[in-house]
Amino acid sequence: MTSLWLAWRTTTRYRVRAMLAIVGVAVIGALLFDMLLLSRGLLDSFADLLRSAGYDVRIIGSEGLPIVRVPIAGAARLAADLRARPEIGDVVLVRIERATAQGAGHPPRPITIVGTTQIGGGPYTIVKGEDLPATSSSWDRCPILVGRRLAAALGVAPGSSLRVSVRPEGIRSALPPIVCRVAGVVNFYFAATSEDAVATTMDALQEALGTSGESADLILVASRPETGPAAAVRVIQQLRPDLRAYSNEDVLAQFNQNGFAYFRQISFVLSSLTMTFAFLLVATLLTVSVNQRLGEIAALRALGIGRARIASLLLWESALLVGAGAVLALPLGGLLALGLDRLLRQMPGLPDRLHFFVFQWRAVMMHAALFAVTAAAAAGYPVWLATRLPIAATLRREVVG
Amino acid sequence: MAVVEARRVTRLFPMAAGPVAALRDVSLRVDAGEYVAVSGPSGCGKSTLLHLVGVVDQPTSGEILFEERDVAGLSEAERSRIRLVRIGFVFQRFFLLPMLTARENVELPQAEARVPLADRRARTRELLEYVGLADRADHLPSQLSGGEMQRVAIARALANRPALLVADEPTGELDEQTGEHIADLFGRVHADGTAILVVTHNPMLAARAQRRVTMKSGRLVA
Repeated sequence: MTSLWLAWRTTTRYRVRAMLAIVGVAVIGALLFDMLLLSRGLLDSFADLLRSAGYDVRIIGSEGLPIVRVPIAGAARLAADLRARPEIGDVVLVRIERATAQGAGHPPRPITIVGTTQIGGGPYTIVKGEDLPATSSSWDRCPILVGRRLAAALGVAPGSSLRVSVRPEGIRSALPPIVCRVAGVVNFYFAATSEDAVATTMDALQEALGTSGESADLILVASRPETGPAAAVRVIQQLRPDLRAYSNEDVLAQFNQNGFAYFRQISFVLSSLTMTFAFLLVATLLTVSVNQRLGEIAALRALGIGRARIASLLLWESALLVGAGAVLALPLGGLLALGLDRLLRQMPGLPDRLHFFVFQWRAVMMHAALFAVTAAAAAGYPVWLATRLPIAATLRREVVG
Repeated sequence: MAVVEARRVTRLFPMAAGPVAALRDVSLRVDAGEYVAVSGPSGCGKSTLLHLVGVVDQPTSGEILFEERDVAGLSEAERSRIRLVRIGFVFQRFFLLPMLTARENVELPQAEARVPLADRRARTRELLEYVGLADRADHLPSQLSGGEMQRVAIARALANRPALLVADEPTGELDEQTGEHIADLFGRVHADGTAILVVTHNPMLAARAQRRVTMKSGRLVA
């Protein structure tokens, strides 16, 4: 006859009260779980997004966050120098331009065109067709990968042709169009859901721009695992002190300090509120329950049942109510997170792969720890009430009552 | 030998208008195997005396000696232990745990006293047979009549083989015929050697006691 067993029998005896408490805690717990997912979800999702490119250092030509880009002069030479260093595994040049794309029977449509020296396995998932070819050929001068949204809008599929006119920044009129072959239809990791994007080879983009291969907006670097990204950053700074090199961790740290502090604060405030509600709900229900059972408790004490047993009985009652509610809160919170995530991701300009609510075991552990504390705190007053009640006076009151 | 002895005990209850004396200079001794009934009008201090003798309350002055130990010098845990293994309580309102069956209610004080499972199962079966409820062992209190609940409560009070059974108006919630059955049961418990102190308004129950004492206005008068 353990205290847990007695608490279980008490809980199942007062089923309606227990169900109300469990449902209440579950609803509150779902909100808490969502706040915990939100507090790190965006950062974790952003980290996944960065790592999905397969490169752990980014080189840009300006100070500040890597989203503000200026062209990197001598990018091709720098790439060649970096490839020669033992700390560097791979280097990819990226150039991003505004352009228009026109399919047969469709008006021109503004797009973002990304030129890259990366061969295969870029930050996209191929939905149809194939990846960009490893080498350029005279008959296939402009192979492109088209975002799924754009492919649907222009009615193109692998093998179709698109007329692409690049509009470099600062130049008022578009350059003459080139005909590009759709190699594949893809989902771009970094493209916003509302953004129409295509990717092509750096050679093809430079041909469309009519420039040589010396410039890039962004250089992606993969460090060697044995030396790590910090060594790669040092090498880059030695070679080109005028540029800024950021490891993925640097980027995340900057976003964590600036971009995501807002979500953490909201999450902290709402988590604290939900914990307070859970505490008040369970403490009130247990206190009412103890007040209804004062005679019973006084009788148990008169029979010699110790204070410790009464305290542990109430603690277990609290733990059962809060525990069941907290467990139920996980699937409930998960469903709610899916809906909220879908809603928030409709904000314009967000990459398709970015999520606000990301499942993390850390959040589950934190959820469990916070509810354990809540269960103990909620049982505090009822335990005090039950273990300190004057036995004789309570029995007398019960009889008179 | 006295199981319990109250020596010149006074119990004052603090009230807004000043302390009220529920007991004044009362002395009472219950010997091993003795059956004592305390009667008197409502509010005369019977239950207060029973609570003091049952070690659930402390006198304002005077001494309570339980098996020759002054309970005033004992810790709460020690007093609780005495109540668990040396005293059995029977209440007017039974106070059985509603979520436990008759058997489980009888087992509870034994479990608290860490009686091995097999022994407490055997003792519980023996006690439920003793009070005539072997066939209701797995019934919840809500499935029992008032008389049956009180018999389960008596079995529970006897679970740890106490030296003293204290009962506060044990027939107060029962009809006359059921009260007689309970009185018979108390007679058997006494015959089996357990000392009993019963507080009652019921003359039929009081008549079964070896010794009857009467209280009035917080004092023993006879």
